[in-house]
Amino acid sequence: METIKMKLIYPKWKKLPGQTTFNLPPHGPVAFAATLPEYVDIDFVDENVEELNFDDPCDIVALSTMLSTQVKRAWEIAAEYHKRGKTVLAGGISAMLHAEEYVNHVDSLFLGESEGRSEQVLLDWKEGKLKKVYNFLGKQPPIESVGPCRRDLYKRELYNHKGVQMVDLFHASRGCRFSCYPCAVSYLGGRKFRPRPIDKVVEDLAGIDNNRLFIVDNSLAQDKEWEKELFRAIAPLKKKWISHTIEDDPEVLDLAAKAGAWYVYQAVYDTSDYIKERVKRYHDNGIGVEGTILLGLDNQTVDDCKRLIDFLGEIDLDLAEFTIMTPFPHTKAYDDYLRQGRIFDFDWNHYNAGQVVFKPAQMTPDELQGVYEYAWQSFYKDETQESKMFRLFCNVALREMNEGTYRPRNRALANKSFGKDVDRSIKTHQNAF
Amino acid sequence: MKVSESYYDELFPFLGQWDMESLCGLKIRTVDGKTYVIVTELYQENPGSSVTYTGEYLKQQICKAKGLDPDKIVYLECNPNTNSKLSFYDEEFFEVNFAADPQSRYRRLSVDEVKHIVG
Repeated sequence: METIKMKLIYPKWKKLPGQTTFNLPPHGPVAFAATLPEYVDIDFVDENVEELNFDDPCDIVALSTMLSTQVKRAWEIAAEYHKRGKTVLAGGISAMLHAEEYVNHVDSLFLGESEGRSEQVLLDWKEGKLKKVYNFLGKQPPIESVGPCRRDLYKRELYNHKGVQMVDLFHASRGCRFSCYPCAVSYLGGRKFRPRPIDKVVEDLAGIDNNRLFIVDNSLAQDKEWEKELFRAIAPLKKKWISHTIEDDPEVLDLAAKAGAWYVYQAVYDTSDYIKERVKRYHDNGIGVEGTILLGLDNQTVDDCKRLIDFLGEIDLDLAEFTIMTPFPHTKAYDDYLRQGRIFDFDWNHYNAGQVVFKPAQMTPDELQGVYEYAWQSFYKDETQESKMFRLFCNVALREMNEGTYRPRNRALANKSFGKDVDRSIKTHQNAF
Repeated sequence: MKVSESYYDELFPFLGQWDMESLCGLKIRTVDGKTYVIVTELYQENPGSSVTYTGEYLKQQICKAKGLDPDKIVYLECNPNTNSKLSFYDEEFFEVNFAADPQSRYRRLSVDEVKHIVG
């Protein structure tokens, strides 16, 4: 088969003001790339860390988007390529969430998971029979067919902050059996938890040239036996990793720690002793905790939010991330607010979880925005986010040194941050936000 | 989060957004000479699009399957009580007028109205 030159693009989005920006190597594009046949020559561009040159030669363009805040930029990119007579394909999480609009901007939209299906799209295109929509929603391919991502496509030096390599993203499963209020994962990946075979996970992990990972699965706490087997199997690799919630079980936490759990994202949704003790149990196992705090739920007043924020000081979190409730399409929140006529902003650029787009039940939108800003300022008033991250980094570096897996930072990139020269101006806590 | 069978008389398979295989609860009641079509969201039991997201397309499919005139029914969406600790999963019924603008398309029924129609 003749070589097809594909420009694979991950569009940029506007980062939230005041927060430390870290660009991680995106997972979706390289997972898609792994499903393409060998005769496709891929030039991958992540617009968040490099400029996109529309005039680079290519036969076809593919857009991969994860966030709602990427879709409008993706449509601008598609328009530019259409001016140049190029065919534009698109897929990814936010392509599925915003499919009705997306389809009006691209030549072909792929919905669902692409394992075993990408080549047919290219053959159709070659024969002039490209379909407007390739719809595989609800028809997940066998999980065994999910192979290693094409991480060779990354320009590694761009995912580097002052010589420290960013974590690689990795998934050990797809789908989710939970239906959490603000989440669309069960719509996107199916309502069944689909764990990858352990041997495939180990093979994939072993092949990643990075000792630090982010296991991006929605929740590993979906099948305890698989979870235990996973941790036992990956422990010999001595990788260190971040993940979402781990089962609250002494044996599982112990196995996770031995398998390299670095820190976890844990939702903090109330001020109960349970939350306090949950965080303590992670720490007792040497696992750090980044609290994720969702603000603007219908049962929250301004005072409730402030009490929750103040509570964070009592539970010894290593980091905290605050988000504003956002009704993403295909979530129950979206349905509820839509029925109640409470969504006032449908500009997807504003669906960044840092901007209020709906009317909260017990406060005004301005009050919620104020609470959100108060939360970031309050939690990081004595120690900046970057400084707290540095402490977590030191923890993992020490563990790696003890295990003989530590890789010193790349001195040649010490003055670079995500491909740009480091800004050495000193920020005060007050103006950092 | 299993939805009680008391919310529906039958399970109705439908095509959701992009013809995704989906499932809802369905109850059809005639009260005071009016035909009420009540669709219930099944959450985890629904593999595809929600009843709210599918909207009028679901109404059309039910009317076609049941031989009903879409202009002569009252279409209700039910957000069933799932005995969750979270208030988001409390029972709610909405009358839907798809011809209205999005801000006034849904009218929440009072407890008395629900009792009168559903019993």
